[in-house]
Amino acid sequence: MKTYTTRAVALVASAALLALTACSAGSSTSGGSSSGSGADQALSLGLVAEPASLDFTTTDGAAIPQALLGNVYETLVKQDDSGKIVPSLAKSWTVSPDRKVYTFDLVDNAKFTNDKPFTAADAVFSINRVKTGWTTSLKAAMDVVQDAKALSPTQLQVTLAKPSNGWLFRMTTRIGAMFSETGVAKLATEPVGTGAYKFSKWNRGDSIVLQRNDAYWGTKPFFQQITLKYFKDPTALNNALLTGTINVITTVQAPEALSQFTGNSKYQVLEGTTNGEVLLSFNNSKPVFRDIRTRQAIRQAIDHKALLDTCFAGRGKLIGSMVPPTDPWYEDLTAVAPYDVAKAKSLLQASGAAGATLRLRLPTLPYATSCGQVVKSQLEQAGLKVQIDQLEFPAAWLSTVFKNVDYDMSIIAHVEPRDLGAVFSPTYYTRYNDPELQKDLAAADAGDEAVQVDNMKKAARRLSEQAAGDWLFLLPNLIVADQNLTGLPQNAITENFDLSRLARS
Amino acid sequence: MRRLNASLIAGGVIVGGIVLMALVSFVWTPYDATLVDPASRLAQPSWEHWFGTDKFGRDVLSQIMVGSRTTLFVGVVAVGVAAVIGVPLGVLAAMVRRWPSELIMRANDLLLAFPALLLAIMFGAVFGASTLTAMVAIGIASVPSFARVIRSGALQVMRTEYVLAARAAGRQPLPIALRHVLPNVTSLITVQASVSFAIAVLAEAALSFLGYGTPPPTPSWGRMLQESQEFLFTAPRLAVFPGVAIAIAVLGFNLLGDGLRDRFDPKLEDRR
Repeated sequence: MKTYTTRAVALVASAALLALTACSAGSSTSGGSSSGSGADQALSLGLVAEPASLDFTTTDGAAIPQALLGNVYETLVKQDDSGKIVPSLAKSWTVSPDRKVYTFDLVDNAKFTNDKPFTAADAVFSINRVKTGWTTSLKAAMDVVQDAKALSPTQLQVTLAKPSNGWLFRMTTRIGAMFSETGVAKLATEPVGTGAYKFSKWNRGDSIVLQRNDAYWGTKPFFQQITLKYFKDPTALNNALLTGTINVITTVQAPEALSQFTGNSKYQVLEGTTNGEVLLSFNNSKPVFRDIRTRQAIRQAIDHKALLDTCFAGRGKLIGSMVPPTDPWYEDLTAVAPYDVAKAKSLLQASGAAGATLRLRLPTLPYATSCGQVVKSQLEQAGLKVQIDQLEFPAAWLSTVFKNVDYDMSIIAHVEPRDLGAVFSPTYYTRYNDPELQKDLAAADAGDEAVQVDNMKKAARRLSEQAAGDWLFLLPNLIVADQNLTGLPQNAITENFDLSRLARS
Repeated sequence: MRRLNASLIAGGVIVGGIVLMALVSFVWTPYDATLVDPASRLAQPSWEHWFGTDKFGRDVLSQIMVGSRTTLFVGVVAVGVAAVIGVPLGVLAAMVRRWPSELIMRANDLLLAFPALLLAIMFGAVFGASTLTAMVAIGIASVPSFARVIRSGALQVMRTEYVLAARAAGRQPLPIALRHVLPNVTSLITVQASVSFAIAVLAEAALSFLGYGTPPPTPSWGRMLQESQEFLFTAPRLAVFPGVAIAIAVLGFNLLGDGLRDRFDPKLEDRR
């Protein structure tokens, strides 16, 4: 009898386990089943870094706006392909002669995906919420706003405390996203916006699924469903395109393997430029980095050309500071810190840092892992000891390096547009406190266009000369996609990947 | 005259070769295995670089040599962890009987239900990817096989007359375990260690391949394989050398295990 009971219990337990396994297998399968290969109206894109949350008001990281901005959320104004600010939810706008009052005329037919109409009151709510509800460091860009009020349901007036060149541009980024007052309760899991796509499903660790918003106020997008599939391994990403699991590699992470696609009539390969400055960041609050000679030594110990050839197959561009060529104040500053190991050694001797051990804490991103090994080897030839730690990206890296500033050096691409001032500030993870730089940035923000360009050039040069970090290279925009796909961006100069323009020819 | 134990000899030679390579790598390698040399990246095998160089310009032969250290180190520690926990558990389960024995063995079964790699990936996700995490995880995953094998051996020993005599004479369990049981299951421990070593080598390579094992730039055969994926079409040799090294190491430890089992198993006495 006892044996029967034992067997029965074992059988029930086994059956339960099997049932559970079957359930979980089913759910994961359903999540990833939206490959576009079978249906013309569905498209699957391969990306690298999965968001840690869907709420960019409280969570840092470029992956969230990449997926949602411009697609699910819209801004009052946006950038076109040349970087010019053009209308979006605002049809037009005027600026007062003292450059402090902006009046926006809004579209009257936009609706949020929770069926609420978009009005000036929502814009006021969204702008004020950046100051009160956001917790990320980017919210500082809204500090200049003194007042925002709705003049009518379709007219918004924003008053700045002082003239600012940067504010309207920042409104094209995530801080300019428009929210519904009744749609912010579950931002981390259920985003609500006015965009051409609405959020459908997030299979964590695998994909985000977006559905076409058929009530969209603007031009309806081509694809009914778009799946953003995330891959940690660059080869798996390439293989996914080769096997038809995805239709687009949004950013090639294994450029050495690009020859699989070039010359193959099934695929198109696009190569352009980005805003993604791959930065070897220094924790400037650490005593070892307070001496400019140590920072300069690190810059001069690295052979940037060789590094680019080695870890990104020579694709990308050497820039020498925090400005990409698509910004009006770009200058080639690679000559500021030329490769010179002997000079680096003598600078390290002079600063007393020779032989010091530095922790290079790398996110688990393919380019960071590759570049980190080159940086370690080259810095060790100059007389430093480098200990590499890999931190899972995004969660562990964001928590350890970005939030807790527990690192000596790190490598990450900063893809936010015009982010020089944000990245090199005393409160950012670089902890770079330079009053002279802040003065240049303030002058650039307050002056007219010519003054802005002059002062931004000064700021970029100062950063480079002060060796606030080391700019390893600028990421290229390398996209591989099905041959018949149109609307892919040649350059990636905004925070988002615009899905609404994609179509099949 | 005893028959030649071919498995034991072949396994011994291969494992001995790997151990020798690891020892030599402490005092000599053709190049610094972690030195990045962009000027000679992706060089073909030549007299200068026998196995060529990888995308960082690192000498592949030097990496294979230093990587053998990682492989052996992981194997030794993982098997050590498994033996230190598994052997006492197996002996205890054989000696206590009834519900404590059942409890130990069911807990053992529970652990056995977790695939070793899955357990190691869980460890890697929670504690971060490192050689230490991989070693401990692989070791813990190998505990059930040790406990199960040792328990069966210990049960046989417990039924022998000299153990019954010792118990009748009032000997305490601990002295019986140390004096009578453990020495008689040593051969089982050796065989199991050898088999587990092969599994550990493969598991470490798999974990490093998946990014949960030895972090860069410490050379590891599994990670060399992972890094070679980009070059499967343009420089397949980068995958071949670490792949062959892993295959030979696993083969060597498996042959050694088979050879030792043949050597120690009394049931195979007539085959010798």
